[in-house]
Amino acid sequence: MIGKCSNCGLCSGRGGNVREGCDVIVAVAGQPNVGKSTLFNVLTGETARVANWPGVTVERKEGVREFRGKRICFIDLPGTYGISASSLEEVIAREYIVSGEPDLILVLVDSTAPERTLYLPIQILELTPNVIIALTKTDLAHGLGIHIHVDKLEAKLGVPVIATSAIKGIGIRELFEKIIEFATGRRRRQTPLRIDYGGLEPFISEMIRILKGSKALSNYPLRWAAIRLLEGDQRLEELMEKAGEGDILKQVYRVREAVKRSIGKDPVELIVAARYNFVDSIAREIIVRVERVEGGLSKFFENVLSKPIIGPLVGIAMLLAIMVLVFSINTGFPLNLILDSLGFSEAASLIESVSISGLINEGFNYLSDVVRNALEGGAPPWLTSLIADGIIPGVGSVLSFFPLILLIFVFLAMLEDSGIAPRLAISFHNFLSRFGFSGRAIYPLMISLGCNVPGVMASRTSIEDEERYEVIFSVPFIPCQARLIVTLAFITSLFTSPLTQSVAFIFIYVIGFTAFLITGYLIRRLLFRKIEPPELIIEIPTIHRPNWKVVWWISWDYSKHFLKKAGVIIFALSIVSWFLLSYGPSGLATDISESYGAYLGRVISPLLVPYGLSWESSWRVGYALINGFVAKEGLIEAIVLLQGGEVTFGEALRMLGLTTTQAYAILILMMLYVPCLATIAVIYQESRSVKLTLLAVIYMLVLAYVVSLIVYFILSIFV
Amino acid sequence: MRGVIYMNEVPLSALPRGSRALVVSIRGGRGLVNRLMQMGITPGTIIEVIDNTAGPIMIKVRGVTIALGRGVASKIFVRPYPRIPYPY
Repeated sequence: MIGKCSNCGLCSGRGGNVREGCDVIVAVAGQPNVGKSTLFNVLTGETARVANWPGVTVERKEGVREFRGKRICFIDLPGTYGISASSLEEVIAREYIVSGEPDLILVLVDSTAPERTLYLPIQILELTPNVIIALTKTDLAHGLGIHIHVDKLEAKLGVPVIATSAIKGIGIRELFEKIIEFATGRRRRQTPLRIDYGGLEPFISEMIRILKGSKALSNYPLRWAAIRLLEGDQRLEELMEKAGEGDILKQVYRVREAVKRSIGKDPVELIVAARYNFVDSIAREIIVRVERVEGGLSKFFENVLSKPIIGPLVGIAMLLAIMVLVFSINTGFPLNLILDSLGFSEAASLIESVSISGLINEGFNYLSDVVRNALEGGAPPWLTSLIADGIIPGVGSVLSFFPLILLIFVFLAMLEDSGIAPRLAISFHNFLSRFGFSGRAIYPLMISLGCNVPGVMASRTSIEDEERYEVIFSVPFIPCQARLIVTLAFITSLFTSPLTQSVAFIFIYVIGFTAFLITGYLIRRLLFRKIEPPELIIEIPTIHRPNWKVVWWISWDYSKHFLKKAGVIIFALSIVSWFLLSYGPSGLATDISESYGAYLGRVISPLLVPYGLSWESSWRVGYALINGFVAKEGLIEAIVLLQGGEVTFGEALRMLGLTTTQAYAILILMMLYVPCLATIAVIYQESRSVKLTLLAVIYMLVLAYVVSLIVYFILSIFV
Repeated sequence: MRGVIYMNEVPLSALPRGSRALVVSIRGGRGLVNRLMQMGITPGTIIEVIDNTAGPIMIKVRGVTIALGRGVASKIFVRPYPRIPYPY
C-alpha cells in the first residue's frame, strides 16, 4: 500500500522501482533518541524536504546527496522501537522496507545505548539482508566508557557497520563509500538473518508450511511472516483476510493456540525474549564498558532534576526563567517593569525601544511610508494602498514574528538536546495526569508559548490517540507570542502601576492555561469516557551540554514550519483583510466605516451588547475581532486604523470609549476565541475532520464569550 | 499457570529505590506489552530501580534509563533479587 511505485507517480521506467533522479535509494531507520535526525541532516545537507507518508499524518523526510557521480536519495523512516506493526509508524516503516523501492536500509544503533538499540537492526535483518548499520554518537560513547568492536559486529551480522558521529563528522565519508559499494553489488549477506527460536522452531516450520499456500504475503520472506504471525500481527492478518485467505488464517490461529497449550505462554513473549537473548549474546561479545566517574554541571542537573519535590520546582523555575528571558528580548516585557520598579527607568525605556518586535515593526512602518510617498501620484491609489497597507505590513507581521518564534525554539531545542526536556516531562506528569494528559504534553505546551501552529503539530509526540486529540484541541488556548504582544499593548494602555499591570498580565496566562487543562479533562472524560490518565513511557537520555549545531537544526526545522504554514496564511490573509478594510459596496472606501470590514463588524456587534458597549464602539470592536480571527497581531493594527491610523495604540484604545473593565473583558475574549486561521488550518490537518475542526472553533468561541462575560460581570461589581 | 502471583512476585511499582529485579511478566493490552518489550523490558530482563518516590518510577534496563508512569509500572511483575549486603 505504501511506497508502491504505482501510487507515488514519481517512478521512471528503469527497473520499475528506481525513482527519477536517484541512483541509490536508502531508507534510514532508527529508534527514537538514537540521533537519527542529526545524522539525516548531515547526510542530506540542506536538500531535505518534508512531506507526509501517503494518506497519513506521519512525517516523511527526503534528501539527496551526490557522491562519486551517483545520486543517493535518503528516505527517513519514522522513528520506531521495532517493526512489529503495533503502531502506524511501524506499519509504514515495515511496508516501505518490503516495497522494493529502497535499495538498502541504513539502520542506526546508538553507541551510548547499544544493548537496547541493537534490537531494531536485528529485527530488520530478519526481514531483509540489505542492511548497513551505522553506530551513532561515537564521540559521546567514549566519554561514557563504552567501546564497541565494530569489526566483530560486522563479522557477527555479515553486514557493513560504520562508526559515525554526525556532530564531529566522523565516518560520514566512509558511510557514503559503503552505500555506493553496497549498491554496486558487493555484499556479503544474501539471505535474511536467522535466529534460533529454540522450542518454537517446530511451530515455525509448521507455520511456514501453512503460509506456502498464501498469496497475500508473497511480498514478505516466508520465515519472517511465519514468525510474525506466531507473535500475532494485525497487519498481516488483515492482508490475508482481504485476500480471502480466511482458511489459511484459521490454521494460523490453530498453531498459535497450540503453542499456548503446549508451552503455556504467549508466543510473543517467547519470541521477543529469544530475539533479545540473541541481541544480548552479541552485545556481550562486542561491547566493553568501563565505569567512568561523571562530574560537573551535567551531573548536577541530573541530581537536582531527579529529586522528588525540588526537581519539579527547578523545572518550573527553568521554564519561567526562559520565558522571562525570551519575552524580554522580544518585547521588553517584563524586564522593563522590573527595572522600572527598581528605579532604573532609563534602562527600562531603553529595553522597550530596542526589543526585536518593536524594531522590526518600526522598520516596516518606515518602509511602507517610503513606498507610499514614492508611489503617490504616479500609481493608481488602489495599488499604492495594496502595497503600502496590504503587502508590506503583511510581510512585516510574518517577519516580526519570525525571530520571536526562532528564539523560543532555540531555547526549547537546548532543553531537548541536553536531555533536560524528558526530565521536565516527568516532573510535570503528576500534575498533568490529573487533567488527563501525560507528562509528554509539556512539549506541545512549551512550543505553543511560541506559536500554536507547531504546538498543534507537536501533538504527534503523544503515544495514545486520545491524548493526541486532547492536545490538538486544547493547546490553542496557550497564549502565543502574537497574543503576548496584544496583551502587552492592552495592559500597558489600560493600567498604570506595575503591580496592576503584572496582576492583569498573569491573570491572562492563568486563564489560558486553565482553559487548556479543563479542555483536556473534558475531552478525555466526556468525549472518550476515559477515567485513567494516559500512560507515561519515556526514555531518559543522559544530560549533556547542548550541541549548537543540533540546537540550530531543531529550532530551524520548527521555525521553517512556522514560516511555511503560518507565514503563507498570515500573508495571504493580510491581503484579504486589506481588501475588506479598503473596499466597500461603493468601491475603494475612503472611510473605514464604509468598508466591508465595518459591515461585518456590525453583523457581530449585537453580541457585544452584554459588555455594555455603545453602538459606535461595538462595531469597531467587532471589526477588530474579525481581524484577530485571521491573526492576533491584526487586532492592534485594526484598532489603530479604525481611528485613522495617525494615533498610538493607547490613544486609539481610549478613543473607542471603553471602560477599563470593558477593555479587559474584551482582551480576555480576544485571548481565548481562536488563535488564528493558521492554527485552525493545522487543527484540520492534524485531526483530518471538518466536523471536529468546526466543533473546536465553536467551542473556543463559546468558551471565550462566556468566560469574558463572567470576568466582565465580576469586575463590574468591584470596580 | 497464568494469573497466579507467587509469593515473591511483586509489581514493579512496589520496589524501593536501588533494588534490582527480574522481569517475570507484563499484564496489559497487546499494545502496551509490545511497546515495553521493544524497549527492552522483556521477561527475563534485569531491571534496576533508580528512583521510586513520587510520580513516575525511573528504571535502568539494558543500559538505558526509562521513566514509567505508575499505571504501567503496576502491570509489570518482577521477582526482586535479595539485597547483597556490603562487605564493609
